[in-house]
Amino acid sequence: MALKSKSKYEDEYVDPVGKSVPRIEGRGIVTGQLKYVFDVYFPNMLIGKMLRSPHAHARIISIDTSKAEALPGVRSVVTYKDTHQIKFGSNEYFFPHTVDQMALEADKVRYIGDEVAAVAAVDEETADAALRLIDVKYEVLPGVFEIEEAIKPGAPQIHESLNNIAVILPVNFGNPERVMKEADLVREDKFWCPVAHPAPMEPHVCVGQWETFTNKITLWSSSQAPFKCREALAKTLKMDLNDVRVIKMAVGGGFGGKLEMLPMDFASCLLSKKAGGLPVKISLTREEEFTTTRRKHGMIYKIKTGVKKDGTILAITGEVLADGGAYCSYGPTVLAAAIMRIFMVYKIQHFRMSGYRVYTNNPISGAMRGFGGVQSGFAIESHMDLIAKDLGMDPIEFRLKNITEPNMVTVNKMILTTNGLRECIEKAAKASGWVEKRGKMKNIKRGIGIGIAADVMGSKMYKSHESAGAIVKVEEDGSVYLFTGAADTGQGSNTALSQIAAHELGVSYSRIKCKAGDTEITPFDTGSFASRVTFISGNAALLGGRDAKLQILEIVAQDNDLDIKDLDIRAEKVIFKKDGKALMSFDKALELCYSFKYGKQIIGRGSYNPKTTPIDFRTGEGNVSGSYGFEAQIAEVEVDTDTGNVKVLELWDAHDIGKAINPQSVESQIEGSLAMGIGYTFYEDLRFKNGRVLNANFAGYRVPRSIGMPKMTTIMVETDELEGPFGAKGMGEASLLPTAAAIANAVEDAIGVRIKELPITADKIIKALKEKSAQKI
Amino acid sequence: MQVNLTINKKLYTLELKGHETLMEVLREHLSMTGTKTACQETECGTCTVMINGKAVLSCITLAANAQGDEITTIEGLANGDVLHPVQQAYVDCGSVQCGFCIPGMIMSSVALLEKNPQPTQEEIEYALDGNICRCAGYPKIFEAVREAGKKMKSEN
Amino acid sequence: MLLNPLTLHLPKTPLEAAKLYKELEDSKVLAGGTFLLNSMKLLKTKGTKTARNILSLAKVDDLKGIDFKGDTLTIKAMTRINELFDYSLPKGHLEILHTVCRNISTNPIRNMATVGGNLTCRYTWTEMGAVMIALEAKMHFLGPDGKEDILTAEDFFKNAARSEKLFTHVTIKTNPAARTAYRRVRKTLHVDIPMLAICVKTEIKGKQWYNSRIGINNGVAFAQRDPVLEAFLDKSSSSSGLGEQALEYLTATIYDTRSSEYKQHMFRVSLRSAIEEICKST
Repeated sequence: MALKSKSKYEDEYVDPVGKSVPRIEGRGIVTGQLKYVFDVYFPNMLIGKMLRSPHAHARIISIDTSKAEALPGVRSVVTYKDTHQIKFGSNEYFFPHTVDQMALEADKVRYIGDEVAAVAAVDEETADAALRLIDVKYEVLPGVFEIEEAIKPGAPQIHESLNNIAVILPVNFGNPERVMKEADLVREDKFWCPVAHPAPMEPHVCVGQWETFTNKITLWSSSQAPFKCREALAKTLKMDLNDVRVIKMAVGGGFGGKLEMLPMDFASCLLSKKAGGLPVKISLTREEEFTTTRRKHGMIYKIKTGVKKDGTILAITGEVLADGGAYCSYGPTVLAAAIMRIFMVYKIQHFRMSGYRVYTNNPISGAMRGFGGVQSGFAIESHMDLIAKDLGMDPIEFRLKNITEPNMVTVNKMILTTNGLRECIEKAAKASGWVEKRGKMKNIKRGIGIGIAADVMGSKMYKSHESAGAIVKVEEDGSVYLFTGAADTGQGSNTALSQIAAHELGVSYSRIKCKAGDTEITPFDTGSFASRVTFISGNAALLGGRDAKLQILEIVAQDNDLDIKDLDIRAEKVIFKKDGKALMSFDKALELCYSFKYGKQIIGRGSYNPKTTPIDFRTGEGNVSGSYGFEAQIAEVEVDTDTGNVKVLELWDAHDIGKAINPQSVESQIEGSLAMGIGYTFYEDLRFKNGRVLNANFAGYRVPRSIGMPKMTTIMVETDELEGPFGAKGMGEASLLPTAAAIANAVEDAIGVRIKELPITADKIIKALKEKSAQKI
Repeated sequence: MQVNLTINKKLYTLELKGHETLMEVLREHLSMTGTKTACQETECGTCTVMINGKAVLSCITLAANAQGDEITTIEGLANGDVLHPVQQAYVDCGSVQCGFCIPGMIMSSVALLEKNPQPTQEEIEYALDGNICRCAGYPKIFEAVREAGKKMKSEN
Repeated sequence: MLLNPLTLHLPKTPLEAAKLYKELEDSKVLAGGTFLLNSMKLLKTKGTKTARNILSLAKVDDLKGIDFKGDTLTIKAMTRINELFDYSLPKGHLEILHTVCRNISTNPIRNMATVGGNLTCRYTWTEMGAVMIALEAKMHFLGPDGKEDILTAEDFFKNAARSEKLFTHVTIKTNPAARTAYRRVRKTLHVDIPMLAICVKTEIKGKQWYNSRIGINNGVAFAQRDPVLEAFLDKSSSSSGLGEQALEYLTATIYDTRSSEYKQHMFRVSLRSAIEEICKST
């Protein structure tokens, strides 16, 4: 029998891990061929629209849909009467009482935009006309819109919770009151962290189809978490998980806003059912995006710290009030993250901070990139700089005195293994020329400031299990599928996970095709958030690759009478571990598996559950994540004291990511985070008045554009986390957390004014400068 | 009414009502969904196409008003399997993340580089200021534009 | 669909367009479309009726182009903002038009929006008005009878930017003695709606200022001159303190004292710095 020709893959083999392999979807993106749910058009597809409450707070007295149903071209109309009236929420496991939202409200509406009904019609015009024909009678109730007003006794009650507090998180360790008395210096600050919005370029969009003869649902959704969506749909529609299929296509950005089932996902399925199974597409307008999808929690952050005169932090107390809006969403965990991130960064033994997640009749707050860490990053890092100033200490010196270290357990039982925080600070300081610049550029109105942060990279905070699964299926011709539940929303997880699987399997990266985020085909994965994908889903992909490899090696061992423990697959070859000698090519080994004799299908399975302990939300204790990442950021600014404009000249970001699976992707993510951080510092401020969003469009809600971005220098610090896939920890959010503080700290260095309420705008700078010169007189 | 549009060097004869925007014609009548729309207020740039070599917003262009013009969309850049230098540069430099802004961003880049293959940093920034990217933070986009410009200059 | 049904009229000559301008009922002029079509879409989402007849100037070639002959710069109505930016303007004070164009909105809008649209759209905050007033520009209008009316930009805006006839082009004279400076402040960084725009023009003899023009756009009223400040400057000579002195002569009603502290501060900062810039150049 003639020898088969050498595999095309053998010659071109390059170890993919650590390589900047181009994005798998790259070609599809640049040719405009990659399809998003936004681009889905089915024949006979109906257009769906949501009917929303015009009132911030009202009781629903009656809903009459008869005129809408009679309008020619309308195929279905749904209200709560068509539902099981089951509530859904995103923190069900730890806070069951926060399951407080119904897809279509039955008795009360709690914010302007709250969904009351939905229609499906042959075109958008008809759907809009149908909405106007639905007659809802409301009894308007007084609303409450400010956090501090909402918690007062006597304020209008939005849900059943006392004083509109959805959740109180008391976090207490040691004896801060006693220890504070021993401090040489005590400082207290209050900060305002405004509301931002994820504002992804692709709006929320879904297509729901109900197969009426099997009662099976398919939902195409622009989602970061298809399995979470499936879970909520199954719950609210009272169906089995295997009767609900959620398919994620390419997603045009999520940033936390696409992490849950939204009423529109629910409505599109129900509308389809009532319309005899026709697919129904609901796409939000940009105004609906800004007003009815999850936004960042606005937070009032109060913090008080006692220190010794040598800079050692003794005790910290404080209070965080978060504006939750009308429903809970991810609120409690965002709040928890906002309070407890500090333990990853600074060594603290005595601590008391209470967090209040408050209901208001404003649009709903949920998860947004940073997850409480952007707000706490601004408050804490500004506060630390102010303490350093009071002590007369250099801000970096002060931080180095108090930061966490590798291989330690924090007071709240977080287990930090690898910890590159010190290295990040030192590298950022060196790259930026900190020593030459700090405090020395006031005459040219320039300044330099630092902010540091840490983030969970493999956390579990929602369900009893949050494991990730992967399947690595090797076809007879040697091409490979990776099935992963992880949701690539543009950050490149499909590519990175393929790199991991290919490396572990021992084959060329170009063999792998990745299929992701289809709940019927891919294994469970919680989704893309909390920077967890590289660590958790990556480990699952690794284990899947390993399992496939072992299945192949088992056949090879059996056929050659060898011990499987002595074999491995590397660089397209089956080799002996002890000396690296090749036994046969990968293709030959595969031929053996798929031979008449063995007929073994190679289906590798991986399941990874990060080693964490559940958080006890009564105390705040728990090792919430399997991996922790760290970063330090330095900003250099120049202030025009005539106009108040602050120009960021350069940003240096040193990030401990464990290992960069795809360096180009890591850099892109960091740069994107920095841009979003600049957005939060200067422009992003969603404003409300009496529950109405005042700037629900891109003209009023400014996001960073090409003009005026600073030079960005990213420094990757690789600490090789043992537990991570090939040492990788993950990333995606940490670089966003300290940007506002680094810039605010730099502004103070430049012109001696401190801004404690974001965003930093020209008029605030002018006002602060005027107040400063008035004080001097 | 009959409307004749020259798109990507091909003549399309369409039966339209007359009040369709070019963006709607592309996406809904011709199934060319590469051109997106994301704001309906001229701010986001995802609907950017080229008309007579200039980057313009298709969501505020009346299709009937564009008769006789040379319209170029993202679908018209590649030459069969061979990507346009700008497309290739965006792939190579890692400038694409979620990708939703990219067709519009590439059209603005092509319009710039065809007139000026060696733009200054300021010229690049001003040429792209109508395209919002929420993912990438811009440095790699600038890099792709510079790389593509070098390639386009050397090809001419 | 995004727009209400409409009838598109596509004249080929300025006279045809001028006739339709007079005759068409329930109509709007479509120049670049950046204002008109955007607002028509918005109105439709609110259920509001929009103009039935759209008079498009897209195919009127004689309304396109920039020309410089003798001492007169002629900018036709359908000139796109970027076309004016790219045009090689005669050296001297008219080059300020490059600065003005650079700061308007974003690139695709600059490719579509027209000088004519910016001047005649009747939004108070568009900035070409202030500049044309400062440059003593003349605006030309064509009637259905083929007769031309000429108005100074100043008079046009005094009449709230209303025009009975079709705007065709603007003419501006060069002047080697003239100096200009322009300042524009955005509401926040990157907003294409200016909070204020100021154009200062003067003619310099030795160091003496004369025939000064201050074109102001305060975002609330139509573009206007500041005669009090002009009178002061015409009695003055360039000096390092002139900008600061000039601030004593600001008229409250023009600089809109009802506006925010920051806006008032920026008016002062902008005027002072524009005047200082001209002083430095002499």
